[in-house]
Amino acid sequence: MSGAPKPPDPAPRAPRITVARTARGVWVGWPGGARFFAAEAAEASSGVGAGAEVRAPMTGRVIKVAVRPGDAVAAEATLLVLQAMKMEYRLTAPRAGRVARVACAEGEMVELGAVLVVLDPAEDAR
Amino acid sequence: MKRSKARTRPRQATPRPRKKTAPSAVPGAARIARPPIKVLVANRGEIAVRILRTLREMGLPSVAVETAADRDAPHLDQADEIATLAGGDGYLDGAALVAAARRHGAQAIHPGYGFLSQSAAFVEACEAAGVIFIGPSAAAMRMLGDKRASRAAAEACGIPVIPGASVCESARDAARAAEAVGWPVLLKAAGGGGGRGMRRVTRAADLDDAFDAARREAEAAFSDPRLLVEKYIAPARHVEVQVLGDGREAVSLGERECSLQRRYQKVIEEGPSPGLDERTRRALGEAAVRLARRAGYRSAGTVEFLVGPDGAHYFLEVNTRLQVEHPVTEWITGLDIVAAQIDLARGGGLPAEPSPCGHAIEARLNAEDPYRGFLPSVGPLLQVEWPVRPGLRVDAGVRAGGAVRPEYDPLLAKLIAWGADREQARRRLVAALRETTVLGVATNLAFLVQILESPMFCAAETHTTTLEESTWPEPEPPPEAIAAARRALATPHGAAAGDAGPGDAHSPWIVADPRGRFRP
Repeated sequence: MSGAPKPPDPAPRAPRITVARTARGVWVGWPGGARFFAAEAAEASSGVGAGAEVRAPMTGRVIKVAVRPGDAVAAEATLLVLQAMKMEYRLTAPRAGRVARVACAEGEMVELGAVLVVLDPAEDAR
Repeated sequence: MKRSKARTRPRQATPRPRKKTAPSAVPGAARIARPPIKVLVANRGEIAVRILRTLREMGLPSVAVETAADRDAPHLDQADEIATLAGGDGYLDGAALVAAARRHGAQAIHPGYGFLSQSAAFVEACEAAGVIFIGPSAAAMRMLGDKRASRAAAEACGIPVIPGASVCESARDAARAAEAVGWPVLLKAAGGGGGRGMRRVTRAADLDDAFDAARREAEAAFSDPRLLVEKYIAPARHVEVQVLGDGREAVSLGERECSLQRRYQKVIEEGPSPGLDERTRRALGEAAVRLARRAGYRSAGTVEFLVGPDGAHYFLEVNTRLQVEHPVTEWITGLDIVAAQIDLARGGGLPAEPSPCGHAIEARLNAEDPYRGFLPSVGPLLQVEWPVRPGLRVDAGVRAGGAVRPEYDPLLAKLIAWGADREQARRRLVAALRETTVLGVATNLAFLVQILESPMFCAAETHTTTLEESTWPEPEPPPEAIAAARRALATPHGAAAGDAGPGDAHSPWIVADPRGRFRP
C-alpha cells in the first residue's frame, strides 16, 4: 500500500525442453525425464496379418533359439533368449500357436524391432 | 595373437612438471618418497575416466586401453598414452593387457571394476610379467573373492553367515540344497557379483530353468559357471563396509547402504547407512577389518552384509576391488580411494581411520528402461548434458556423439551429492537429476527422481526388496514436452530443428497415446 509498486504476478517459467530428431521419431527431454516419440504408427502396422511377429525388444545377441518351424508352443513358452549388456532376456510366446518362421539364428546380433519369430495362431493354423 | 600398438597423445596445453617422487595422496599416510610409476588402466567408461583423473592429479603417467568398440571413448582423452587392443576380447584379454603394459613401459595395471578385476589368474599373469597389479594379492583374492572360500573365512572370524551356500554342480544338487535350507533360495555365481548369474527361486518347479540361465550368465560374465545356493533373507538392508589393507593391517573407512536394488544391481547408494544403530555399525566395521586382516588383504575392498530388522547381520560376500559406489565414501571421508590403492601398491601405509562428515547419496544413471522391464537400451547418444552445482560430483563415461553398446554394461554415469545431512544430500541429488539431459537411449532418469522423492526414501525405509515391491508408474511428460515433440515431428527429419518454444498442446492433429506414440 505504501508507495512501492506491486510486483507483477510471477509467471511460472516454462520447463527447459530438449529435442533430438532421428529418422524414426524424436527424443524429448524435460527436467527429470526424457522419452522417445515415434513418428506415427510406422513400426506398429507392418506386422499386421494372421500371424504374430515376435520382435526384438532390444538390440542384442541371440544366445539360444528354443523353437523350430512347425513347433506348437503354449502361451508364454520360451521362444528364444537374448543377451545384451551381460544380462539375459527371455522372449516368450504372446499366445499359443505354431511357429511359422524363425528369422534369427543363435549367435546373431539383432536390432531393436527386428522380427525374430513368426507365430501362427493356435487352432486355425491348418 | 593379439597385438597392441603404441600411440602417444599430445600432452595437454600445460606441461606437467617433472617430479622425481610423487608425494602420498592419502592424508595421514606416511609421506615416504616413492618412485613414480606409469599405470595402465585396463578398463573403460566412467571408472577408467575416474582412475585416470587421479593418476593425472598425482603426476603419474598413464596408459588407457582402446578397443575396436571404444574408438573416441571419453576415457582415452584422460590418458597420456593409448594402447590399442586389436583382439576381440578387449578388456577381458589378460595376456594382451599385460603385453600392452610392457610395451608401453607401464609398471602397474589398475583393473577398475568388472572385467578382470577379480581374476586371481590375471593377478598372477601380471606378477609373472613383473607388472604390479593394483589390488589384492592372488592369494587374498582367492580367499575372499570366491564366495565359498570367503564364507569359510568369515565363519573362522566369528562372523555370522547366511544358511546354505553349497556349490552345486547340477540343478538336482541345487534342489537338494534348497530343500535343506528352505525356500525361497538365491542362486548366486560363485565367481563374481553385480547381479550376474543371480536368481531368486521360490519353488522347485522353477529351479531347472533358473539354474541353466544363472550358469550361462555366470559363465559369460566371469568365465566361471559355478553356482551356489543360499537361503533368501528378506526384508533386509544391504550394508557394506569399505576397508583398506596394507597386506597385514586393515582400516575401515565406514559403511555404505545399498539396499535399493533392481535385479540385484544397486540403483541408489548412500553413506552413512540411515538404518544402523551405533552398536551394529561398530560390529560391522570390526568384522570387516578382522576378515581383511585374516586374508592379509592389500588395497581397497568391500565386505558386504545383510542386516535384518532386528539388527542381526549376516556376512554376504567380499568385493576384492574398487566398487562402483566408492565415491560415496570418498565424499564423506575426504579420501581418494584410488590414490590410496596406488600408494598401497607402491608399499605405502594406511591412512588413519577417518571420521565421516555429512551424508552422500549416489544415483546410477543407466541406459535401460525401468518402465519396460529394465530392458537395456542401445544407440547413439544425441545429446548429453551433466549438471554442475555445489555439493555434486558427476562421474560420467559417455558424451554426446558417442554410443551405448550392447557389449558393455548399461552404466552411463554416477551422480553423487553431498549434504551436511541426508535431506540436503537428497535435495541436491534431485535438483541435479532434474538438470541432467541424455537423449538417444532410454534411461532410468525419471525412475531415479521418483525413488528419491518417494516417501519410502525420504523416511529411509529402504530394503533389498523395496523397489520390486512398489509400483513405479511411468510419469507423464509435461505438456511442453508433448508440444515440442509434435512440432519436431511436423518437421521432416534432416530439416533444421529449432529451439523448443511454446506450442499449442491442444492441437487436434496429433495426440500422444499412453505408450508415447503419436497418432493422427
